[in-house]
Amino acid sequence: MPAEEFPVSLPVADTPSVRLEGVTKRYGRRTVLERVSLDVPAGITGLVGPNGAGKSTLVRAILGLVRLAAGSVRVRGIDPAVDPRRVRRLTGVVPEDDAAVPGLSGVEMVQYAARLSGLPATEGLRRAHEVLDWCDAGQERYRAVETLSVGMRQKVAFAAAIVHDPAVVILDEPTNGLDPLERRAMLGRLVALARDHGKTILVSTHVLRDVQSICDRLVLLVRGRVRLAGSVTELTGGGGGDLRLRGTGSLEGLAARLAARGVPARPADDGTGVLVQAHDTAAVRAIWAEALAAGVSVDSLEPERRPLEEVFLAALAAADAEEPRHAPA
Amino acid sequence: MPLHDVGYRGWHGPQRPGGAAGVIATTGIRLAWKSRWLRRVILFAWSPALVFAGGFFAFEQAIDEGAIGAGREVARRLDGFGLFGSLLAESLGGSLDDPDQARRTVWTRLLLAFMRAPQAVLLAVVVGLVAPRLIAGDLRAKAWLVYFTRPVSRIDYVLGKVGVLAAIVSLVTLVPALVLWLVGVLVSPSVWVAVATWDLPLRILAAAAAVTIPTVLLALAYSSLTAETRIAAFAWFATWVACWITHGALTGADLAAASRPAATVGPGGLADPDDPFEDGPPVVVRSPRGQRRLGWLARAAGIDGTVDRWAWLSPFHAQGVVQAWIFGIEKRFAAVLPSLVSLVAVAGASLVVLLLRVDAPARA
Repeated sequence: MPAEEFPVSLPVADTPSVRLEGVTKRYGRRTVLERVSLDVPAGITGLVGPNGAGKSTLVRAILGLVRLAAGSVRVRGIDPAVDPRRVRRLTGVVPEDDAAVPGLSGVEMVQYAARLSGLPATEGLRRAHEVLDWCDAGQERYRAVETLSVGMRQKVAFAAAIVHDPAVVILDEPTNGLDPLERRAMLGRLVALARDHGKTILVSTHVLRDVQSICDRLVLLVRGRVRLAGSVTELTGGGGGDLRLRGTGSLEGLAARLAARGVPARPADDGTGVLVQAHDTAAVRAIWAEALAAGVSVDSLEPERRPLEEVFLAALAAADAEEPRHAPA
Repeated sequence: MPLHDVGYRGWHGPQRPGGAAGVIATTGIRLAWKSRWLRRVILFAWSPALVFAGGFFAFEQAIDEGAIGAGREVARRLDGFGLFGSLLAESLGGSLDDPDQARRTVWTRLLLAFMRAPQAVLLAVVVGLVAPRLIAGDLRAKAWLVYFTRPVSRIDYVLGKVGVLAAIVSLVTLVPALVLWLVGVLVSPSVWVAVATWDLPLRILAAAAAVTIPTVLLALAYSSLTAETRIAAFAWFATWVACWITHGALTGADLAAASRPAATVGPGGLADPDDPFEDGPPVVVRSPRGQRRLGWLARAAGIDGTVDRWAWLSPFHAQGVVQAWIFGIEKRFAAVLPSLVSLVAVAGASLVVLLLRVDAPARA
């Protein structure tokens, strides 16, 4: 799904839903999280990092499942180490692994999750159907979970995570194994939850395209440390004033005309448009005027962004330079 | 898109904290009950109750007709027909002139024999069928994520799983024993017998708990140590068999030593001047034939009036000794203490293992 289909102008609360301060977690002598400080506000935050970066441990720390060596975690102001039940009532988790109780059908699984979260049995069943309907689960919901397709299992896991209407939803690789249509639908649901219902969503994923298309914010974790954190727009350079013009016609001619008019411009390397540095309204007006004069039919004019993959790789390289990958712990 | 899709809606209804253990237990029972094999075994486990109900009926008929002597004669004729016949013969063989006293003696022995001989063995089978899947199955299917990412503590989880197994085990031990008592009341001449024997349901409850608690905790502890249900099942049955064989070998050696002409034994086994619970005069050990009469199960259960000194080594035999004490057949607490300590130690160690292991993957 193209990025523009998921507007990223989501509300950002002043008080973060999840706050980590100086979180350190060690397993024996191995440090898995090191002084991680992080705010996760309402909206969608992408948590990315190479394998073994500490993403799963971070999620477990938020849920109060692991004992921290140092630091503190607050979920809506509640310390999960002190009151993990309350925190887990406020959160819904879609784990990466298939996690289901064999023998239960899809709808029973979601109802079971609802009841474990404190919903009464009948209401839990009604709510399970409601959420599965929203997830477009169809009649497959009545089949045993172990016989469901990957996509359907993912829907059931997602429905089970949100059945109790949590304020914070944490998803680990939510689009794993989904076909393009299902993937698009899943991302759409996340955006709807964040935009229409004010949920705080933390998505741990390796699919950077998903992060770029739906996330407001990005956190890059490398070897237990936060290497990059900020809004996706800022990190990908969307706020720098560079614009990309896409269209048909003499794009090289247009670039030359703009440059002659004092608006820095050059044809894009991939040949799909013109990159223009437009820092004020006059420059934007000049773009439209020169495009008209050059006979260029403009398809789009949007802020230029670096591919997230480029940002990710650059941050990884910086992390490697700072701390070689195979350095002893 | 379904016609009734109303989009995502928030939940504004009640969200009651607690109660997760009950949810886990009821769902677990429902899932376990789907097993055809389990239903068959439980159905089969009720068949001994029919035989024992016949025993209650026969005894009450004898009382009703004032024919305890005749009943005793009938029972003597039953002697040799396994534990059940021998048991009646033993029960009626003493001073049973007082019907109420006779009833108490016979009912108690019948109930204890019922809970020991057929039910304890069937219980091991039922537990072996159900317990391994309860936690090992969750570990294998990564279902622990379902629990520990929700407001479920490890105590809730353990209580829920214990509830599943305890409910199923009680279908094999507690419930049929209570039904037997009820049958006894119904076939007795007066409903006031229920008042006269009011303590028996409580003793049944306590005896069932003595079996259920260590058994369930041990089986679940094994289940929590592996993600392979087969290994958990093997460990469970291997424990029973190994302990049984060890116990059998040691008591066999005792019996062999005691059967020598000069040997004497006291109520606690071979006569031992240092034995703290040796309070009566030593009696000559029964002949091997006499020992066989009630059989090894009766000895293990303590219903032949002896407590073997190795019972504490085997959960099955230790439970028998403790149950005999609960039913008032074995009165020497000192003789029961090793078995009681053994069961408490097994239950305690199993509980510690369970609490440490159940959410270990979530903490890893």
